[in-house]
Amino acid sequence: MMRIVLIGFGNLGRGLSRAFIQKAGFLRETHGLVPRVVAAVDKFGAAVDEKGLNLVRLLNAAENKGTVAAHEGGKRGKTALDIIDNVEADVVYELTQTNIKTGEPGLTHIKRAMLARKHVITSNKGPLAVAFRELDSLAKKCGVEFRYSASVGGAVPVIGLARKLLAGNEIQEIRGVLNGTTNYILTRMSTEGAPFEIVLREAQELGIAEKDPTLDIKGIDTACKITILANSILGMNAKLSDVRVIGIDRISPEAIRLAREAGQTIKLIGIARRGLLEVGPKLVPLGHPLAVSGTLNAVTFELDLAREISIAGFGAGPKETSSSLLGDLIDIHRALGG
Amino acid sequence: MELEDVPGQLLKALEPISRLGGNIQSIMHQRERKTPLGRVPVMLVFEVADRVRLNRILAALRARGVRVTQLGEREGAVRATALLIGHIIHTDIRDTIDRLNALKGVMVSDLSLAMGDIGKESTARMTITANDEKRANVAISNLQRIADRKKLLMITSLEVG
Repeated sequence: MMRIVLIGFGNLGRGLSRAFIQKAGFLRETHGLVPRVVAAVDKFGAAVDEKGLNLVRLLNAAENKGTVAAHEGGKRGKTALDIIDNVEADVVYELTQTNIKTGEPGLTHIKRAMLARKHVITSNKGPLAVAFRELDSLAKKCGVEFRYSASVGGAVPVIGLARKLLAGNEIQEIRGVLNGTTNYILTRMSTEGAPFEIVLREAQELGIAEKDPTLDIKGIDTACKITILANSILGMNAKLSDVRVIGIDRISPEAIRLAREAGQTIKLIGIARRGLLEVGPKLVPLGHPLAVSGTLNAVTFELDLAREISIAGFGAGPKETSSSLLGDLIDIHRALGG
Repeated sequence: MELEDVPGQLLKALEPISRLGGNIQSIMHQRERKTPLGRVPVMLVFEVADRVRLNRILAALRARGVRVTQLGEREGAVRATALLIGHIIHTDIRDTIDRLNALKGVMVSDLSLAMGDIGKESTARMTITANDEKRANVAISNLQRIADRKKLLMITSLEVG
């Protein structure tokens, strides 16, 4: 049995809760794992039950009343730090919104959870981009497990593939399409020949792009992920400001057409290798593993033994991302001998 | 090569080249310089990925009765493609090309332009042919400096380091 605290109950927290409900039998039978969510917190308050919250009712409270505090016995005004410090738990999921400048509030949540000797799983890029080394060594010092698969690539197991299955290789370079929003925009510009502004508006209407799309289209979200990959896979001590970033807002449909005539397409590519951290639009041959369309993500590793390995898949979405969040939990369960 | 002066001969020579992966760059058909046997000399330039393919093409030509009289090769020509986005014409594309052509072993071999609407940015696709990889990289980094100075966004190929 693993006692779990959910910090943040937006799309990802809800998606994960649905996966816990849907896969309860599978987790028990296949992995001998019984997750018990003992607390959930959002910005309005918290719900706590040491015997395990009823996740169906928790989802109803959040969806119909707007907060988990509306769950039976829930308390408005209770904060994440109250819960982290005072509720007995094994694993804390930090799933709050990303702040790439300060990493807060996620950064404090993660540190406090580690100091309270709780294992941490996060999808939050902010704390990882701001303080990766600090968090990595704090986890070791406190003797807790720390996982962040969902922070890069959504459902695509970029970090796990590199750190586990490719462990016998020296990883020379990582490059990839790491932002579904910009890839969707470039794909639509290519197939429809429509200008950037029109496609961006379409993406916003579909909920693929945010109201303020700056972080995506300027390449900053991709730069965050490149920073995380550089630190977690290449062992670098990189900061977001070390990444040279160019966005896609100057790309025109004519540029994509000229690229296509030469058998290429334009993708926003993040590149990490020692001595070079870069994000920018690149010409990618049609049919290349990174020439994925729509909101897909794709990553290619350049390796000394295996030469090249590429993977692709869904980079966002609550259900897809719960694949990584759940995978991290099972991984910790195994690491602890479960 | 020398071709008989009857219709359809040129096509007969070109077909196996493109079918076997050759990329034809130029054809010079010299009718006024017929050989004593009445054949027409034709000079063809094509690019091919490797020697195996070249040999296959030569064999196919011979099998069709095409007389290859002279064979010149230049190995390892490297091509690099880049897009430039910005005010291409106003920042003097001629000057950009001249600067690259002034580099040793480097030539701008293709240029396509797509004009933006009035006041909007244009795009140019440039192909640079260089004698070897090192020269191609020098050309690309020179082009990057020119692009930076002219405030053009340069998009290079994923493979170019």
